[in-house]
Amino acid sequence: MEQSSAYEGQPLHEPKGWWGRYVFSQDHKVIGLQYTCIALAIGLTGMFLSLLMRMQLGFPGLFESIDAGSYYQDVTMHGMIMVIYLLTALFLGGFGNYLIPLMLGSRDMAFPFVNMLSFWFYLLSVLILVASFFVESGPTGAGWTLYPPQSILEGTPGADGAGIILMLASLAVFIIAFTMGGLNYITTVLQSRTRGMTLMRMPLIIWCIFLATFLGLLAFPALLVGAIMLIFDRVLETSFFMPEIFKGGEVLDYGGGSPVLFQHLFWFFGHPEVYIIALPAFGIISELISCHARKNIFGYNMMVWALIAIAGIAFIVWAHHMYVAGMNPYLGFFFATTTLIIAIPTAIKVYNWVITLWNANIRMTVPMLYCLAFLITFLIGGLTGLFLGNVAVDVPLSDTYFVVGHFHMVMAVSPVLALYGGLYHWYPSVTGRMLDDRLGKIHFWITFIGTYLVYFPMHYIGFLGVPRRYYSNDQYDFIPQSVNDLNQFITICALIVGAAQFILLYNFVVSIYKGKKAGSNPWGACTLEWQALESPPGHGNWDVQLPVVHRWPYDYGLPGATADFVPQNVADEDIT
Amino acid sequence: MTEVINNEKEKFMGLTHAQVFMYLLMTVISILFLFITNAYLFRMNFADWQSLPMPTLLWFNSGALVLASVGMIWAKQGAKSGSPTNIKIGLTAAGIFGTLFTLGQITAWQELNAVGYFLASNPANTFFYLITALHVMHVLGGMVAWLRVSFKVFLGSENTATEHTIGLLGIYWHYMLLVWALLFSILLTT
Repeated sequence: MEQSSAYEGQPLHEPKGWWGRYVFSQDHKVIGLQYTCIALAIGLTGMFLSLLMRMQLGFPGLFESIDAGSYYQDVTMHGMIMVIYLLTALFLGGFGNYLIPLMLGSRDMAFPFVNMLSFWFYLLSVLILVASFFVESGPTGAGWTLYPPQSILEGTPGADGAGIILMLASLAVFIIAFTMGGLNYITTVLQSRTRGMTLMRMPLIIWCIFLATFLGLLAFPALLVGAIMLIFDRVLETSFFMPEIFKGGEVLDYGGGSPVLFQHLFWFFGHPEVYIIALPAFGIISELISCHARKNIFGYNMMVWALIAIAGIAFIVWAHHMYVAGMNPYLGFFFATTTLIIAIPTAIKVYNWVITLWNANIRMTVPMLYCLAFLITFLIGGLTGLFLGNVAVDVPLSDTYFVVGHFHMVMAVSPVLALYGGLYHWYPSVTGRMLDDRLGKIHFWITFIGTYLVYFPMHYIGFLGVPRRYYSNDQYDFIPQSVNDLNQFITICALIVGAAQFILLYNFVVSIYKGKKAGSNPWGACTLEWQALESPPGHGNWDVQLPVVHRWPYDYGLPGATADFVPQNVADEDIT
Repeated sequence: MTEVINNEKEKFMGLTHAQVFMYLLMTVISILFLFITNAYLFRMNFADWQSLPMPTLLWFNSGALVLASVGMIWAKQGAKSGSPTNIKIGLTAAGIFGTLFTLGQITAWQELNAVGYFLASNPANTFFYLITALHVMHVLGGMVAWLRVSFKVFLGSENTATEHTIGLLGIYWHYMLLVWALLFSILLTT
């Protein structure tokens, strides 16, 4: 695309050669895809680790290579990979990069070079993380929360070698990558909207990514500070977090530090992190529900304010992760209250999605199936959250499988369902071809039913008081045989769900070449990414002139219009 | 890169891209220092805490950082009045005093180390080294930006963006001074 002096919008840096176009690209779409590919690859590794854990829980001792140490390493790396390197990276780095400029009618991110650096730093953080699998004594097995003192003391897997150091270093590099990307997303949203794209005309997913990025930028520094201080404690034997420790009758060099300080720093990041993942998922659901139910989203303004409220309250609930750490009861009361309050804006969003579906012309496409599955799963995960948010209920349930069931429902399965819905929805925009519908439905039903069979029983196991993170349940009289049977059942289901994900991968690869041609706007969506000059959109996204926005992004079923949707860039007088 | 007409109308409060980026970056850095000082104030209540004496050199270093900021103001005024000489004088002063500050901080660490205030011997020491090192790292980031701008000014041709760029660089340097002033006052009084 040749630029002329009348070319509108920010300057375009034409890629130079194959390397510039596909590897060191500054085009937001390529960077988004790079993020997506790396995140999915490391996500597959995370899933494989979870299956190893399940093998040990369902069939203890079947694999001799899974000993207590490697089990804890699998638990830790699975958690960290899924939360940070898959979901955070894929939602913000993948979807954020691809969608923000396209949906806002911009040519690219505000700072394409910084954007490219962000991806390469992310890749570096993943490589450092993966490297920890290959060092002596392996990756850290401290649990994804990395609580000191045990995370850096000899005896914990990976603590005496480089495992824990690589983990912390990888997190620090990830945070730098995220900051570079995040500053870009926010600047782009604030500065690079095309004419007519006011803040209150932005698609909800852009609002969600925008606010999730804010959360990340304000929360990740807490983790960075915690990680740096923990590296100091581990490498330089300082005592930020390390109390006096006696080991085999000997006093270690540590003394006087506070492990609870680390918990505060960790969870001040850790709780907003839940919403860093949940908000983009909300955004995807909002787009998909409206488009595939052919109805405008109910209560747009309310949705935006609910998001802002969630983002704000997300910063004052963190200590509900620490009820059992020893806490002033009044403080526990405060955090329980804020935790319950955050359910209000969240419920507003769920009600609005349901009302959007009410009397709508629902098309049972694969993305819509994922939306419906998300609504139910998020509701269930949210309700069990009310249990755990209350101090008195949390204390007996803390560190049991109930917690594992709860957070997998609410922040693993729910976001992944939204993620899959999003992948099916935007795949045609990226490749110009449709994913296979039949394979999509098979993948959906196995994943949806399968994950319920995996996580629903865990709530019951938790009620029995079975502790999470135990390598073996053999020596505990209070655990009945039925738990072991259930664990076998869960493991078999998990293996089936795991295998089913390869249907998606197969569908992805084959559809690039053999998928049905999508055309420019296969779903009949109103948002700008489907109104680009070419399909898939080329470098610079738009023609010589940027699109002009005349309406909000959800004009489905507009009275007087022939088509059941009116794109954002169509003026009133042009409606036919 | 072709000159283009900028018709992206929906700007935020009339700010440029770079301004928004810079203000956001400073917000994120503030949060980082907020957490580290929070941790400092939390940890200092424990029994093993022994405050360390602040080396007198830190006052001179603070003075250097103030003069570096004055240099940036000088350069900004030069850019405003279209005087390349003043831009160069200001930038040179900022660079020299910024470097002096960095070297001064390193010397202060060596002084403390020489009289037995080792990094790991007390949490107060560890925090002192960590906080000052984090600040120096951010000052060094400012030095990298200063190098970029200086290259443009000293070696490049006239640049229309100079006033804007120097203004932004100046804001970051003043901000580093402000952060240092707050950190130093906390270190002095606790």
